[in-house]
Amino acid sequence: MQPKNLSDHSVLDKSVLAPAAQPASVLDDSVSADAVLKDSVLKEDFALKGRGFKPRRKYRKIDRGLSRCGRILAATRMQPWLLVWVLGANLGQVCAAQDIHAPTSVPAGEDTHFTTTGSDKATFYLVGPGVSSKSDVELAQGVRIPAQSVRNAGNYLAILCSDTCRSATFYVTPAQPATLTLRVHPSRVPVGQNDAVSGVALPFDQFHNLVIAPYEVNFQLTSGNSSVMSRAVRTLSGIAWFRTSSGKNTGILQVNAALNAVTSRRAVQQVASDPCNLRIKGQRTSKGIMVETEPVRDCSGNPVPDGTIVTFTASSENTKSSVDAPIKRGIARAQMEAPGATTISAASGVVMGNDLRIGAQP
Amino acid sequence: MRLPRNPMAAMVVLVAVSASPLRAADSSAKVQLNVDKAGPRAVEAQTEQVILRDYRAAWTSLAQALEFNTLDPLEGPFVGTAKKWLTDSVTSQRSTGLSSRYSDQNHKLEAVFYAPEGDVIELHDTAEYQLQVSDGGKSIQEQHMIVHYVVLMTPAADRWVIRQLQAVPQF
Repeated sequence: MQPKNLSDHSVLDKSVLAPAAQPASVLDDSVSADAVLKDSVLKEDFALKGRGFKPRRKYRKIDRGLSRCGRILAATRMQPWLLVWVLGANLGQVCAAQDIHAPTSVPAGEDTHFTTTGSDKATFYLVGPGVSSKSDVELAQGVRIPAQSVRNAGNYLAILCSDTCRSATFYVTPAQPATLTLRVHPSRVPVGQNDAVSGVALPFDQFHNLVIAPYEVNFQLTSGNSSVMSRAVRTLSGIAWFRTSSGKNTGILQVNAALNAVTSRRAVQQVASDPCNLRIKGQRTSKGIMVETEPVRDCSGNPVPDGTIVTFTASSENTKSSVDAPIKRGIARAQMEAPGATTISAASGVVMGNDLRIGAQP
Repeated sequence: MRLPRNPMAAMVVLVAVSASPLRAADSSAKVQLNVDKAGPRAVEAQTEQVILRDYRAAWTSLAQALEFNTLDPLEGPFVGTAKKWLTDSVTSQRSTGLSSRYSDQNHKLEAVFYAPEGDVIELHDTAEYQLQVSDGGKSIQEQHMIVHYVVLMTPAADRWVIRQLQAVPQF
């Protein structure tokens, strides 16, 4: 935790040094008290030394201090009682000055209370993510921060101003996880693919703050009644993720992420992969050659989705023609015109089927 | 002030004097991005450049929005939660007469997570800037800030946008 940062706009800045800032007219020979003070620090030419008097070493500092006071009094022509009064008045002002003490961190969406010192009225400012407020406060009563002012996690600046301003910074930390954002890719995946499915889970509290503290997220992937993957992952900086292979069967792949009672669910459509074995059969009809595939399946035995294109190619002595046919209900069909002896082949993607030889039209 | 007799020298002095307030009011952001620790996906060089460009632009826009209490700069660089709290900040600053000035920005940005599909990146930003809060034009607080931000960016149509910008005590 970073310590709170108390900015010190002390009333000492000007008021305590007020005696040194007397108008020039009261100063001897236009020599300011500051200059006298500086000279006395930097030089050792004060009178006692000049007369040969040399105090014992342990009294020298006291001696210098007294001399300095005397020189200031002389320089400002200020009576000793006046100096005491000015210092006393300023000391009283310092004691009565306002100050604010904020806790280092505040949970999001909770009322909090800052203690203040001082007895007068002051203006309180709160500046933070999504918040910028200003209100009058009684210093003796402290400052109450309502829950709705500290909903957004982040750093806040509390400023208290009367004659001068004092400030304190504090952090609002996220509350408990209330929702789990789950991003899963892809939405449609072929079966049996390595590292094809990935998901990222991000916990947020009820105020949409990212929960940075580590929590364990359980990822479960199921296809039908079988479990494809189950893994517990600890969040790091508010993120847990997984990557895994797709299942063996087509259908819905349920992706479930759970953080205690908070859950999130996504669905991935698993589809058949590329055709594995392509076999065709055909026969000559009055209109030409009717050719069709056997049910087209991937290597896991899943029917290839309808719409997958199968290309039939008819080759005879002098001609070559091709027809693209989509798979419908697992089978692709085509009508081809080839009067002579013909060899028909089929292909889908990178998979080639068997060759089919059909004799010439009788 | 005595100006030099040489007209050229006088001009140089005048330009130097008139340029100094511009430097002081600089709200642009310096950003350094390190993607060495990003994973599981490696950040492509072009993606790195675009994120750097868009993150810098986002902070410049943020500074303008909060200094002049205008919502226009927030259109584009911010979405979701980040845009909401910035919009709320500007709206409440308008109503209270406050403004916040972010100057001398220096961001050390580190990519710590890049999703397998490249659809979200988490960055850690150690930001240093001078923050001045004013009430009705009168400065009430000026402070050098060092703030750690956890940032979530996602790709949009033509840029990366900030979805979450959340300060944390430490990484």
